[in-house]
Amino acid sequence: MTVLSAARVRGPADTAARRRAWITRPGTYLVILLVVAITLVPMLYLILSGFRTTGQLGSNPNGLPHPWVWSNYASILESAVFWQAVLNSAIIAVVATALAMVLGSMAAFALSRYTFRGREGLFLLFTAGLLFPLNTAALPLFLMLQKIGMNDNLFGVALPEAAFSLPVTIVILRPFMRAIPGELEDAATVDGATRIRFFVRILLPLARPALITVGILAFVTSWNTYLLPLIVLSTPSHFTLPLAVAMFQSQYSTDTARVFAYTSLSMLPALSIFVFAQRYLVGGLVGAIRG
Amino acid sequence: MRDIRKARFGLVAALVALAAAACTSGGSPTSNANSNAPQTITWWHNGTAAPLLGIWQQVANDYHAAHPNVTIKVDPIQNEQFTTKVPLALQSNDPPDIFQQWGGGQEATQLQSGKLANLGQFVSPWIGELGKAAQAWQVNGQQYGIPYDLHVVGFWYRKDLFAKAGITTPPTTIPELESDNAKLKAHGIAPIGLGGQAQWPDAFWWEYFAVRECSTSVIQQGMTASNMSAPCFSKATKDLTAFLATNPFEPGFNAVEAQSSPTSSAGMLANGKVAMELQGDWEPGEAKGDTTDKSIDSKLGWFAFPAVPGGQGDPSSVLGGGDGWSCTTGAAEPACAQFLQYIDSTEVQKQLVTQASIGLPANPAAESAITSPAVKAAAQAHDTAAYVAVYFDQALPTNPGLALDAAIANFFAGKGSNSAIINSVSSSSGH
Amino acid sequence: MARTESTRNRGPGGLAAGPEIISGPAAAGAPPKQRSARRKRIELAILLGPPLILFIGFVFVPMIFAIWYSLYNWNGYGPLSDFIGLQNYQGVLTGPVFHQALLHNIIIAVLSVVIQLPISIGLALLLNRRMRGQTALRLAVFTPYVLSQATSAVMWSMLLSHGGPVDSLLKSAGLAALIHFWLASTSLVLYTLFFVVTWQFIGFGIVLLLAGLQGIPPELREAAAIDGATAWQVTRRIMLPLLGPTIRIWIFLAVIGSLQLFDIVWIMTLGGPANASQTMLTYLYFNGAERTQFGYGATVSVVLFIISFVFALAYQRYALRRDTAGALTRAVG
Repeated sequence: MTVLSAARVRGPADTAARRRAWITRPGTYLVILLVVAITLVPMLYLILSGFRTTGQLGSNPNGLPHPWVWSNYASILESAVFWQAVLNSAIIAVVATALAMVLGSMAAFALSRYTFRGREGLFLLFTAGLLFPLNTAALPLFLMLQKIGMNDNLFGVALPEAAFSLPVTIVILRPFMRAIPGELEDAATVDGATRIRFFVRILLPLARPALITVGILAFVTSWNTYLLPLIVLSTPSHFTLPLAVAMFQSQYSTDTARVFAYTSLSMLPALSIFVFAQRYLVGGLVGAIRG
Repeated sequence: MRDIRKARFGLVAALVALAAAACTSGGSPTSNANSNAPQTITWWHNGTAAPLLGIWQQVANDYHAAHPNVTIKVDPIQNEQFTTKVPLALQSNDPPDIFQQWGGGQEATQLQSGKLANLGQFVSPWIGELGKAAQAWQVNGQQYGIPYDLHVVGFWYRKDLFAKAGITTPPTTIPELESDNAKLKAHGIAPIGLGGQAQWPDAFWWEYFAVRECSTSVIQQGMTASNMSAPCFSKATKDLTAFLATNPFEPGFNAVEAQSSPTSSAGMLANGKVAMELQGDWEPGEAKGDTTDKSIDSKLGWFAFPAVPGGQGDPSSVLGGGDGWSCTTGAAEPACAQFLQYIDSTEVQKQLVTQASIGLPANPAAESAITSPAVKAAAQAHDTAAYVAVYFDQALPTNPGLALDAAIANFFAGKGSNSAIINSVSSSSGH
Repeated sequence: MARTESTRNRGPGGLAAGPEIISGPAAAGAPPKQRSARRKRIELAILLGPPLILFIGFVFVPMIFAIWYSLYNWNGYGPLSDFIGLQNYQGVLTGPVFHQALLHNIIIAVLSVVIQLPISIGLALLLNRRMRGQTALRLAVFTPYVLSQATSAVMWSMLLSHGGPVDSLLKSAGLAALIHFWLASTSLVLYTLFFVVTWQFIGFGIVLLLAGLQGIPPELREAAAIDGATAWQVTRRIMLPLLGPTIRIWIFLAVIGSLQLFDIVWIMTLGGPANASQTMLTYLYFNGAERTQFGYGATVSVVLFIISFVFALAYQRYALRRDTAGALTRAVG
């Protein structure tokens, strides 16, 4: 009962049934409905607009597709440029995410479970990177990448993206890793494991929800990054999705319906990753338990 | 024996070194003695969407067919990306050989990179055919850019809506315009569309009042010196204030985009939500994309910015600009200039007019290809204008130019002042 | 058995419940072996080396360069030659438009914490329960975050246009009186943008808070319920405190994000009308990049950095210290 001594509550006698009832209360349903409406209806507008022409959007912005224009989605799905851009975006996002997760968790581990002089200062250094938006680093970054010959190179985009994702990753991972009891580590040492092994075999699996979170965030961030690929990549066959969509925009007009169709399709990979990964964010416990 | 071999070796080595230097030198344009050597020219243009996308590629292919030793590598770059990519490219050691150039103060600023090629020697035989317009691409009298199309700003109006409101002829003075606006409002039609969000459409209004109030030389001096202290500029603000007081624009114009969106002011004109818009000659092409009305082209007419009573500017003067190209310094300069000549040739210019709806060709000989009466009227006004004032944010260097746009937009939003506008172009201001 | 209990307390949720539980099994097992200092140094080098190299190379070095530019008047062409010292800083710090921009960023930051946070927490708690359609609901709420800010901005510009879908919806729902000039009004535009930002970033908060909730054992909730707590009391007395550390991270990231707001504002309003929606980064982009005053732009980024840094320092000291203080779980050395 010590567990609850800090959280002792008093109130009318309740049953588990009453607790379950919260979920079925009409108020909850209303909230869910409202939330889904506000988030999804604009998205529906986006997706459905892809089935119209830009002219239709101008003549009647509030209407539904009628007739249904398939050519936007069809021509995009058939275009090699689109799939090439998907591939490029995917390669960059996977590399950037993997790097950010691996290096970020290494750094977070060191910063959360080791004591050494300058630890807080180092953490502050990483945090400082968070405070420096990519926009302003663009020009010097470009000149630098050119010097080391990483221009027009997918890795020239992935590496800086990973670097700029490190601060968020570390800021999120550090407290999660800190919370894992030191006794676990002691026990692991007693069993003969090195700290690095503890890190890989025990800590990382335990920190899985946090790792999934930073992975999702890093992936989505990379997927939607526009400025960095813009300044680094020059060959059209290297373009990422946000750059490729610019092909529907000219000096005086934008094929907005096409842009919406393109963007709707672009979201699918990142959404799929989320659906797959969010299973690890289930309420309840999963993960190896020793002992 | 040994000495001869050494000498021969030395000679070969020297020749190799010389050849290597010649091949890799990005230096003087005359270093490439063999003009039939294969060349690749990189070309940055902003025609990312159809039809220009296909047309430019066709132009490149046709040129290559006629000049097999020159390959053009076409790189379409989205228009808004130019402000980012061009400075970066001019900083780098590998800028594109040709890039889109809008002339004026921006070109003058780019000149500081030292990478813009002076095309004078290459184009002097034919540049005169383009007339006065080519001057907007000169800096200090030197030709650092070449136009390929020209623009003029005027009123695009819905003939059907004018007829509905009982307006028989377009207005020729500002008071007439104001009374026409009243007629339109009486019939429940918002008179004038304005894309205030973008800021530069607001600037068109103020600049046209300035062009009407100020004499040509005052404007030219103002642009060169980035100084608008001449009293006629302040008079322009006064005219604008009086005009704004008549509420001529659509409600919420501050947030309306000018183009590139179906809900833009161009879209409004196309869908009959406003009766006219002060815009460039690209308006019909833009409007067509924002509506399902197939007959929109025949419904649009054009008239010039009305005269301002008492103004010192010539009433036939127009505000305009254009698109063009610059070449970067290097071995490709002669080939670059030749390619630009090809783009300005009558056949290609006519192709641009008929297939790409570019509006006004840089080569006057191609004007006969314009079929739309409205665009013809605009071209006519441009050709007979006493003075073609380049839009101020293009004539001025980029920095004061954009500051001017912002100050004018603030004014339209009710939060600016005449002094803010006038002072915006002085170098230490506008923050 | 004791160890099993302690492994349950992973995640920030486990922090507050830490002391009571670990005090049990701590006695089990022998004291840790002596680690050599050298071994520790090597491990630290392996762990921190690669991240530091990547970070310093691609973030820190460009940062230093950008700061260098701030001392010059430079339009991006030609060499850096016009050294003007702190003149740019004077221009930025005394500029009324910059002050306006800073104020707007602060307003957005405050509104984020006051409005977005409760919504995010509520939704996270809701979505944490096993229920039918959990995946679908989470997907629905997360989807706006996946959309690029650019497209989001274009879409909302159309939705919020005068007479557009939103206005039509209000009219048909009989709420025509609520129709305003969402983006054209200088007094409303900032809050309209805040709404769009909230719509976009709720997903971020959900993902983060769900991760935090993951570490709270359901047994705690069940035990409390058996003890007689209502659902609301369980939430207030157990879940929220255990979620505290995650919430504090969220606040930190949300404030920093508010200070760096750019894409949505730039595309929807360009900071207008008349600077009514100007943020520090749109100010930077207009004056620094578009007007090709790169030195001035660098100055704004340095000032923005300093403001953020002061906040970060203060926040570290007063808010986050509690979460990483050694009292609860000790770092093993």
